Amino acid sequence: MAHAGTAGEEVMLVGFDFGSTTSSAMAARARIALNCATGRQEFARPRVVYRSAPVFTPFRAGGDIDIGALELHMERWLAEGGIDPEAIFSGGAIVTGLASEGANAQALASLVEARLGAAIIATARDPALESWLAFMGACGGLSRACPERAILNLDIGGGTTNAALGQAGEVIAAGCHFIGARHLRFEPGGYRLAFAARRGQAVLDHLGITAGVGDALAPAEVAAVTGFLVRALEALADGEAAFFRAEPAALLVDVPLALPPGRDAAVTFSGGVGELIYAAAAGAGLPPTTAFGDLGIDLARAILASARLTRDLSLVPEHGGRATVCGLTLHSTEVSGATLHLCDAVPLPLRDLPIVASLPADADLARLSAALALVARTRAGGCIRVSGAGGLARSAAVKALGGRVAEALAAAPLDVARPLVLLLADNAAKAVGGYATDFGRAPAPLLVIDEIPERPAQFARIGKARGGMVPISFYGLN
Amino acid sequence: MRPLTPLSEIEVPAPRPDETYAVTLLDRRFSFTGLKALLGAADHPKAGDRLAGLAARDEVEREAARTLLASLTLQHLFDRPLTDADGRVDAVMRVNYQIDAAAFAEIAPLTLGALKDLLLKARPAQVRRLGLGLTGVMAAALAKLMDVHELVLVAKKAKRAAAARTRVGAPGTLSSRLQPNHPTDDLSCVTALVYAGLSMGAGDALIGLNPAVDTLDNVTAILTHLDRLRRETGAPTQICVLSHIKTQLAALEAGAPVEIMFQSLAGTERTLTQEFDVTVALLDAACAAMAAKGPLGPGCQFMYFETGQGSELTYGKHEGIDMATCEALCYGLARRYDPFMVNNVTGFIGPETHRDNFEMIVSNLQDHFMGKLMGLPMGMAPCYTLHSEITMEGQQVATGLLAAAGANFFMDVYLSTDRMLAYFDTSGHDDQTLREIHGLTPAPEFLAWALARGIFAEEEGEVVRGPNWGDPRLFCASQMEFERLARTVPGAHGFESAGPRPADKVSRAVKANLAIAREAIHADLDPARLGGMAFRRIASRAHDRAAHLSHPDIGADLDAADLAHLSPEDRDVQIVVSDGLSAEAVHHNVPDLVPVLMDGLERSGVSLGVPALVPFGRVKVAEPIGDALRAKLVVTLIGERPGGDARASRSMSAYLAFRIADEETRARAAAFSGNPAVRYEYSVISNIYDGGLPPVEAASVIVEKALQILAHKAAGNRLERLLAARAA
Repeated sequence: MAHAGTAGEEVMLVGFDFGSTTSSAMAARARIALNCATGRQEFARPRVVYRSAPVFTPFRAGGDIDIGALELHMERWLAEGGIDPEAIFSGGAIVTGLASEGANAQALASLVEARLGAAIIATARDPALESWLAFMGACGGLSRACPERAILNLDIGGGTTNAALGQAGEVIAAGCHFIGARHLRFEPGGYRLAFAARRGQAVLDHLGITAGVGDALAPAEVAAVTGFLVRALEALADGEAAFFRAEPAALLVDVPLALPPGRDAAVTFSGGVGELIYAAAAGAGLPPTTAFGDLGIDLARAILASARLTRDLSLVPEHGGRATVCGLTLHSTEVSGATLHLCDAVPLPLRDLPIVASLPADADLARLSAALALVARTRAGGCIRVSGAGGLARSAAVKALGGRVAEALAAAPLDVARPLVLLLADNAAKAVGGYATDFGRAPAPLLVIDEIPERPAQFARIGKARGGMVPISFYGLN
Repeated sequence: MRPLTPLSEIEVPAPRPDETYAVTLLDRRFSFTGLKALLGAADHPKAGDRLAGLAARDEVEREAARTLLASLTLQHLFDRPLTDADGRVDAVMRVNYQIDAAAFAEIAPLTLGALKDLLLKARPAQVRRLGLGLTGVMAAALAKLMDVHELVLVAKKAKRAAAARTRVGAPGTLSSRLQPNHPTDDLSCVTALVYAGLSMGAGDALIGLNPAVDTLDNVTAILTHLDRLRRETGAPTQICVLSHIKTQLAALEAGAPVEIMFQSLAGTERTLTQEFDVTVALLDAACAAMAAKGPLGPGCQFMYFETGQGSELTYGKHEGIDMATCEALCYGLARRYDPFMVNNVTGFIGPETHRDNFEMIVSNLQDHFMGKLMGLPMGMAPCYTLHSEITMEGQQVATGLLAAAGANFFMDVYLSTDRMLAYFDTSGHDDQTLREIHGLTPAPEFLAWALARGIFAEEEGEVVRGPNWGDPRLFCASQMEFERLARTVPGAHGFESAGPRPADKVSRAVKANLAIAREAIHADLDPARLGGMAFRRIASRAHDRAAHLSHPDIGADLDAADLAHLSPEDRDVQIVVSDGLSAEAVHHNVPDLVPVLMDGLERSGVSLGVPALVPFGRVKVAEPIGDALRAKLVVTLIGERPGGDARASRSMSAYLAFRIADEETRARAAAFSGNPAVRYEYSVISNIYDGGLPPVEAASVIVEKALQILAHKAAGNRLERLLAARAA
């Protein structure tokens, strides 16, 4: 006897992280399966099948990324990991931190998409997404394991600290600050300044440190710099928004972190500096002075001296320096429900779809029509999120929503080149799509995709259907 | 192991015509024609035997039959093999005559009554020796003469051990068979359940899983996973995936770790071959393959059988033999293969075989007694489904008595609720509780391992629960890993314990879920809770709940008077709503499902009859309705048998029964199915409830499937094959 929907196929997921200091790749295999406890489709039993060794992100003299050199690394990763771009189900590539500030960061993202094909979503300058990914990669499991505790993960890399607060596996707030190891670079083995980025120089100025490139910083000056950065991290942990309103801390803010009041969050660390912190806390010791030519080791040491920041070191997140790439590989894509309303005239995948509106299930015709008008003006279609789980549990609600969508579509028909994608949290896609198209009598360029958790994103990508389900990725979380 | 005796070399007396056995008790004269009738009437009253017309009409008739049975000699029974419907000795009966001739010669002249007295007086060694001289029929006849104390006492003397990696059934031990089932074979959930079981000292007899999908790939993957868990935890035990024996043989051939070969047995050849797709020759071949290629090596036993009273009856292939005797015939067949374990699951089927606690308890005691006496290493799984009247407390009474009788092992089903098979068995908590009550320990090899891990400890020469007992985190690298695994366990009400029992808050959650699920079965179908829709009411032949639950066949037929009122309407689709085994499932799903279903079908140009409401119906009630109304397709929305999860107890299924109305379609369907008489083909959409496929969405899925069926004039696997071919 036949059953509705199929699942269980093993798929390949990939992630590429091009960061301020290092770049790396990861590949995993996972089975799409129904979690009988939660009733949701998910990637079950992911197995990481490839982890590249991190390489220093190659920069050219002007601060741009050396795309040619990175391309060679990427080809090597594909070969080492046995990754066939055609076989990739979903994945992401992200250009982060200082690398994303290079003039050609977007060109790198485009190159990755061209090389790896439609299953990959590549972004540059999406700091809140980075924070979200780092949290999921580092603390997703830990957070679900301790659902009663709010956890603030600080992913400290070369250029930025990507902070995300989460609880029970869900990110609640995300921010990004230019607190990193590589705003000041040194000749390895000492503190002779080799390079001072704009924000690094501002910190030196604020602290009254007059050293320039070629000068050696005194130990007290190094301590002052790391002390200032640690103070900024403590302000993040305690939700001191006022700290970041004053100069020069204001210069450090990329995306402000707005912590909800009343949560005494445990602090965890990921990223390169995070890895050093936990290694040292476990007794491994820190590498020699400025072994990486930056402030990372000193920053880790200073964090280890902070009572506030080390209060929760017993909570050890996963994947350390690879948190972002792990988040990209394993958490950047959601799997839809198994019963969808798709449209033969609209081939998948659909890329870069703006999410034009978030409406309740009982949104009236005027609001639906207004959102539809926005979709009609997009380049290649757009999404409307139907917010609130449970709003489509009753047949009357489904019928009413489907009817209003049908009415709106009839009043302002969409072009197949600009399809409408309805994103539902409830499992009701086929029913809503049925009413919206009068059960096939009024065909429209409409896709209804369900069981998709709500994300504060601006864009979505809908992948090719596999086993009756589609992968969907979100970006633009700022 | 010793070579198997060819069937042709097992001597069986020629069948004889039935004789009449008669006796007078006070002023009532009783007579029984044939041994089958006598055996049936002599047993305790049970639903299955009543259904088969074999049970005594009253207690006096039962005692009359017992009086007669007690007067028959063993030789009398030996000389009258029971035959099948064609009057022939079937293969299962033939195997039962493979007995210890010397032992039989010793007791052949004794009456059954005298043998019973002898067994009650005899030392254990003598009981074990004489038992090998018995056929299944003889053991069953003895069981019918024994009361509860006697069944317990003699079984205790007949305790039999068997060995693979662990030695199971030795005196002073009580082992456990861990069953980490999951509805979709989610290996993370399997891992969580294995860890939970091992941490409670369960699993020393076996870690065995019933697969959701019986394919070579899936079975091999699960075996590989269980093997990895066994190696990583270091637990000295053995693993098994309880798939069909043919799948296991293929897996063994492919090099998978088939350590123990499993098969369900039946006491009649027709059930064994036609329903279980197994022959004695196939069992012989499997045993030989394991002896040659099994990974456990020489000196280990490796066959594992499951049995339980009533399977032959429910398939209508019991050959006029009562349930207990059929069960004993299974043991005669199992004995041929010197198995490592036999597990009895009497109570699994439902109220059509065992209605209440008494019937289940007494059958379990009989089964344990018969199996042990005949030489088998019997483990017991007294179990129940929610549509019977058997309760957890009744099951616990059974386990207490069976532990006293020396059962080799019980099951460990986490918190007693099987997440795949929707039935209720013993748990790891139960196993440990019984160990503590009866002063028993796990198998010695496993105990040494568990002591080293703090699962158990020794205090003043006694084995007690250790500091890690009941803590599955023991096997996890981190709390995070444990939580990740635990999230995949349906119905995970908690891992906390109070002594050997679940903590009260866990027990409360389990019992509340059971209560809600049971209520779903016993709730009446209430038309007022169906969303105000207009139904035509049609009665099945089951006019009340008791008849509906105990006679599954009559719910598939229509009441004659109602059937007479139906005439051809020639619609495309007829919707039928029936409570089946859960009226609550219907109440919670139909109001949102049917309006969308009707909208979708009507807007798609499908003609519909007025929906029908059939209280106390079964799935196949679609057929008389489809025949009478001449509908092309009958969509039956019916409540499923509730399991132990409160929300899932509201689960409904949609069975789409396509009526084959023309010869061309029939020829295609017959060619596909191999059944020239095929009349209907079925597609099913299951798991309809708010935690699975919600009713509104299910309606749209049903619409889509119905349109496919009507367009292709096919349903079920034939339709899926056509759709796949078209997609390719």
